[in-house]
Amino acid sequence: MAPRSVTSATISEDPLAYEDKHVHAVYEQIAPHFSSTRYKPWPVIAAFLSNIPPGWVGLDSGTGNGKYLPLPAENPRRVWTVGLDHSLNLLKIARNAGGGYREVVRGNVLDQPWRKASFDYAISIATIHHLATYERRKQAIQVGHSNLNDIVLITSIQRLLQAVSPSHGRILIYVWAVEQDDLSRRQIPVVDDPHAVGQSGKDVFVPWVLSSGADSEKLQAEQVFNRYYHMFAKGELEQLVSEAAKELGLHVGLKSESAGARRGIDFQQDGWERSNHYVELRCWAV
Amino acid sequence: MVRLLTHNLLACHVKGCTSNNFPLQFQNAQIELREADFNTDFLKNFLPKLEWKALVDSAKDLGDTSLPLEQPEMLDDEFLKNLHHVLLEIHVEEGSMTCPNCKHSYPISNGIPNMLLAEHEIG
Repeated sequence: MAPRSVTSATISEDPLAYEDKHVHAVYEQIAPHFSSTRYKPWPVIAAFLSNIPPGWVGLDSGTGNGKYLPLPAENPRRVWTVGLDHSLNLLKIARNAGGGYREVVRGNVLDQPWRKASFDYAISIATIHHLATYERRKQAIQVGHSNLNDIVLITSIQRLLQAVSPSHGRILIYVWAVEQDDLSRRQIPVVDDPHAVGQSGKDVFVPWVLSSGADSEKLQAEQVFNRYYHMFAKGELEQLVSEAAKELGLHVGLKSESAGARRGIDFQQDGWERSNHYVELRCWAV
Repeated sequence: MVRLLTHNLLACHVKGCTSNNFPLQFQNAQIELREADFNTDFLKNFLPKLEWKALVDSAKDLGDTSLPLEQPEMLDDEFLKNLHHVLLEIHVEEGSMTCPNCKHSYPISNGIPNMLLAEHEIG
């Protein structure tokens, strides 16, 4: 197999068209192969779902092949997670994830096709790093946005905050980290990202190699699909979440230290697991 | 899949369509009935969060009239069994859902509702 190096990406088109070409179209093509490699739930996510109280309904925003929809494994019917994804081919796999019937919806993670605050929890696993940002970042500068962090990433986080209950909602977000572990086969380019500002990560292409033809002969046909990613720097996700929350008028911090705020979020945990940054949030209201 | 559990959460999100945009109304719905595992804990705790009238009306649209117009105070076995069936055992496989306000139609194909909008329709 050819080495899977990661190349740096420059987004020069309309971001929606860009996502269509470099994210949505790619996943439609690689769906079955991609799915066959994504079956093992990560421990932090499995634990998050195991601790959800009975009767709660959640949103898996960017569900992919739906591998988190059947969880928690020890008590699968106590909660229901609804999977949202753009890729129809992945949803066709997700609707029967784990051998049962799952609830899946086709849509964009930047949209809000729900009653507001109708969920109790939401997870966003390896999804928002696909949102194309450079053009949005430029727009942000043009409209005099004080911070160069990406409007589109903030919007995606706000969609999660708006989807869950303001008084008890729980949210878990995973994104791909610039800091990769040794087990990862990916090589990260060391070129300087000319668009990186402050605590920004990197915009890159990550190839997916699809082999057709089962033989080991040299004639094996390989197709390479490049997926767009924004790799997050340490602290970048927390910063985006804080900004997203503040724009919605939410206090960031503990309820007990809120100094009169009526609604807020606090960081339950954050960390780095297997080349990803994650945060868990809890919503609170007075 | 679109079961009434999920339908009770979905709302129209066309640009500017912010009131009377729920519940979406089923059109030409083709349904399949499939048994699902019963879980009392789930039902009892989920019940207060449901939009009850929307659930009752939508179940009726799909041919199920087993639910009372008002949520009962006593949750007996028969009620919970009916609620379980309505929420989790009726699968809408084909058809569409129309917004009561702006009449936008969201297609359902192979049990998957398509809530994507064209760029100019996004709010």
